[in-house]
Amino acid sequence: MIGEFLRRLGYYLRRRQFEEELDEEMRHHLSLKERDADFGEGAGKHFGNVTLLQEDSRAMWAWTFWEQLLQDLRYAVRTMIANRAFTALAVLSLALGIGANTAIYSFMDAILLRALPVSDPESLVVMNWHAKNATHWGEFVMHSMDGHSWEDAGGESSGIFPFPAFDLFRQNVSDFASVFAYYPAEVLNVTAKGQAEVAHGEYVSGDYFRGLAVPPAAGRLLMPDDDRAAAPPVVVLGHAYSQRRFGVAANAAGQSIFIDNVAFTVVGVTPPGFFGVDPAAAPDVYLPMHANVLVEAADQFGFRAEGYLDANYYWVEVMARLRPGVGRAQAQAALAPQFHRWVEGTADNDAERANLPALVLKEGAAGLENLRREYSKPLLVLLALVGLILALACANVANLLLARAAARRREMALRLSIGAGRFRLVRQLLTESVLLASLGGGLGVLIAIWGIRFLTLLLANGETNFTLHAQLNWHVLGAAAVLSLLTGVLFGLAPALQSTRFNVIPALKESRTSQTAARHSFWRVSLSQVLVAGQIAISLLMLVAAGLFVKTLSNLQSIDLGFNRENVLLFELNAAQAGHKSPEISTFYGDLRKHLSEIPGVRSVSLSNRSLIRAGWSIPVTAPGAEQSRNDRLMAIGPAFFSTMQIPILTGREILESDRSPAVAVINERYAKAHFGSRNPLGQHLTLWKEKQAARDMEIIGISKDARYGGLKNEIPPVAYIAYDQGYPEPDRMVYELRTAGDPLMYVKSVREIVHRADPRVPVSDIKSQAADIDQTINQEIVFARLCSGFALLGLVIACVGLYGTVAYSVARRTGEIGIRMALGAQRGAVVRMILGQVFVLAAVGMAIGLPTALITSKLVGSFLYGMKPNDPLTLTLAVAILMAAALLAGYAPARRASGIDPMTALRHE
Amino acid sequence: MEERTEIPPGTLYMLILKTLMRLGPMHGYGIARHIQQISEDVLTVEEGSLYPALQRMLIKGWLVAEWKQSENNRRARFYRLTPAGRKQLTAEMAEFERVMGAIARVIQPA
Repeated sequence: MIGEFLRRLGYYLRRRQFEEELDEEMRHHLSLKERDADFGEGAGKHFGNVTLLQEDSRAMWAWTFWEQLLQDLRYAVRTMIANRAFTALAVLSLALGIGANTAIYSFMDAILLRALPVSDPESLVVMNWHAKNATHWGEFVMHSMDGHSWEDAGGESSGIFPFPAFDLFRQNVSDFASVFAYYPAEVLNVTAKGQAEVAHGEYVSGDYFRGLAVPPAAGRLLMPDDDRAAAPPVVVLGHAYSQRRFGVAANAAGQSIFIDNVAFTVVGVTPPGFFGVDPAAAPDVYLPMHANVLVEAADQFGFRAEGYLDANYYWVEVMARLRPGVGRAQAQAALAPQFHRWVEGTADNDAERANLPALVLKEGAAGLENLRREYSKPLLVLLALVGLILALACANVANLLLARAAARRREMALRLSIGAGRFRLVRQLLTESVLLASLGGGLGVLIAIWGIRFLTLLLANGETNFTLHAQLNWHVLGAAAVLSLLTGVLFGLAPALQSTRFNVIPALKESRTSQTAARHSFWRVSLSQVLVAGQIAISLLMLVAAGLFVKTLSNLQSIDLGFNRENVLLFELNAAQAGHKSPEISTFYGDLRKHLSEIPGVRSVSLSNRSLIRAGWSIPVTAPGAEQSRNDRLMAIGPAFFSTMQIPILTGREILESDRSPAVAVINERYAKAHFGSRNPLGQHLTLWKEKQAARDMEIIGISKDARYGGLKNEIPPVAYIAYDQGYPEPDRMVYELRTAGDPLMYVKSVREIVHRADPRVPVSDIKSQAADIDQTINQEIVFARLCSGFALLGLVIACVGLYGTVAYSVARRTGEIGIRMALGAQRGAVVRMILGQVFVLAAVGMAIGLPTALITSKLVGSFLYGMKPNDPLTLTLAVAILMAAALLAGYAPARRASGIDPMTALRHE
Repeated sequence: MEERTEIPPGTLYMLILKTLMRLGPMHGYGIARHIQQISEDVLTVEEGSLYPALQRMLIKGWLVAEWKQSENNRRARFYRLTPAGRKQLTAEMAEFERVMGAIARVIQPA
């Protein structure tokens, strides 16, 4: 090795001498050979390829590979500088392609690939169950459920269990795993140092932190002793949250805070970067599981201690850490039969027994799947789209390189004829394309950084607890680098092979201008034409996608809401969590409403238990002689709700400030139709039930027009609007609605001041306009429509640039031919028509490929569409029309130029 | 150009070594010419393989080169066998005979 190194180094020190000696040796050889040939002897005057021979000899002494690479790079840089416009165009289109791909990939990395930041995440498993035919409620052992469940292949799955099942796991796995449990606490009121704020919490079992194996950043984490019914209330803070509330993590430990008006002691802080087990959530506080009874004691629907014993109440989520050497399948085989036996014992009847949930152990390394379920399909669609953009960019660059390679045919021929190896030439051309791609990749990473920020903003859309944080890490950068290299080779290889594969002699004989005009006749399909047709096809695909998503969004936005979404400010608060109790809480909310309506510019104020678009509440309410229907929904509202939201009252009147007793209700049209048919509901009574006892009797005083309830897309249910302050259920969390003059966000400051004055312990949260509240529920559609339009436009521009380049180049090469046509009497218009005709054929071929592809692939995004079918004819027509117009426009400029050719000049050119 | 047989692969080193053994120090052209003549024009050594082979043999230390006056009164690079080269020749010839013998046995009519 060292000898070789010295030898090669030595070569560089006396390189000149080496070359001269080799040269002299060759000359000597040749002279002797000539002499012998003159005497009629020997091998004749033929001598092998001198250049090649010299290169071969040199190869043994020098670092030829690196030397040639350096040479190639120098040469490539020089060529790039000489063709600035070409280089800029190529690098830019590649950068856009690679940048878009990197940005989307970084989100995929964050959601689909990243493991939990705990030690040995691979040994974690998540307990799930799967049950068939989940459609018939009441035939299940799950009598009530509190948590996520989702439909999947042939039934329903979920990760929530009854607490006794967790006990079962805990007792039976000790020899091969340790289990721990958790469930999300909803929004909590956390008061620290006299400041009240809302925070997100997670209830965790005592062995949660031990099971996840995370060390504390300060103090200590929760232990099994903290998670007992009568244990002193302690809590652990998330790292970022502890910094926000206490400056530094170390200050937090030992502090006393109030959570929903219950005093807790902070015992420690989780390590930075730790976000629990669900990438979709980032808890601020971790409470011991059994503290839920304490925290929710004041909540009328809160958790009660009996919940821990109920074998048919599903609510707690369970994870296990397998011991080394234990596989997931093995653990499942051991636990599933035990769970089956246990769950069988909880069934009340045969129907329930026939449909028992089965235990499924899922990989837990990446945490819970909530985020993945929500985003993986949209991200795959986006990734496919940006992949297409990259393909377009590659085709473009390949096309540009092809055009340039044609122009360099003589150069290549010359180099081949003086002994350059073909491999060597291909290598040089590839070096150029990889360099182009690397520049594109470098710029692309910058674009990706910007793109990630932009996408995060777009995806979050104002949601404050948005937890999806993508970033450039080594995976992503590695992927970008591989992508650049791959694209470089991909778009460089074809032109490189083509430009070095020809017969040397004719290529050398060609004049500079008349290069193979015959070969370029239109019907001989060239690689560049194939590329352009492919680009048109891809472009069509993207236009169709954009069209579908834009139309979906516009369908959603033109849905009749039944209320006026403009100029309404919403905000949320929960006085119950700050210690307000019934009946005083109703007075508090009522007084606050009065104060808010005194803000100048506020036209009217009301409140409801949820915003209309996020509503979804049902407790038993019946019309006389009718049964409770599962579809019925309720909404607790304040006075003037209908006039504030501008929902028309069809007959009767709305609920007013003066309505004290008797209790009143307003129903919507559907409720009237569903429960009263043709009878007049006005004056009829509704009964609200609390555990099979009549809790409230209400007179129907009005019928409102149907307004959207609980989402844009779902059908409006029958809704009964009841007063929030007329008995059971007592008000807790409330959303205020302010109908304002002008931009509602101008009133945010006054609102905060007024609420703070009323009670500083009640934090205001989720302040936003009604329009934003609606937009957040269709955020995915908004993101898709915007991104896809952007992508489609980008794709269209790239494809048109490609088309323009190809046509312009073909016109330039056919200058002579066109000159002859014109000399023979062809009109300018005819020339323009001829060129445009060719463009038309190219575009038509591209579309003929793209249209069926679009028809097939658009079915894949069917679930993303609203109010239309995937093969929407209008969208398809529009996409074709736009593309054809753009293609002809791109072809028109070179066509005009062709028609401006002066026959005499063109012919002299020949 | 008339058809000539290329040197069988792997035997070029041996032919060069043997030639230098016979002739003593010799330049590239002389080596090629000698191989062609002795083989009665059956074997032709292409310059394109001869000179790279000579360079390779220099690196391996089987040959040394020196510049001397040649028969046409020009300076030429003469190659001379080293002891390592002699050893290599013996080894290559032994190996060659072993293989040739084996081949002969295979193709001999039974």
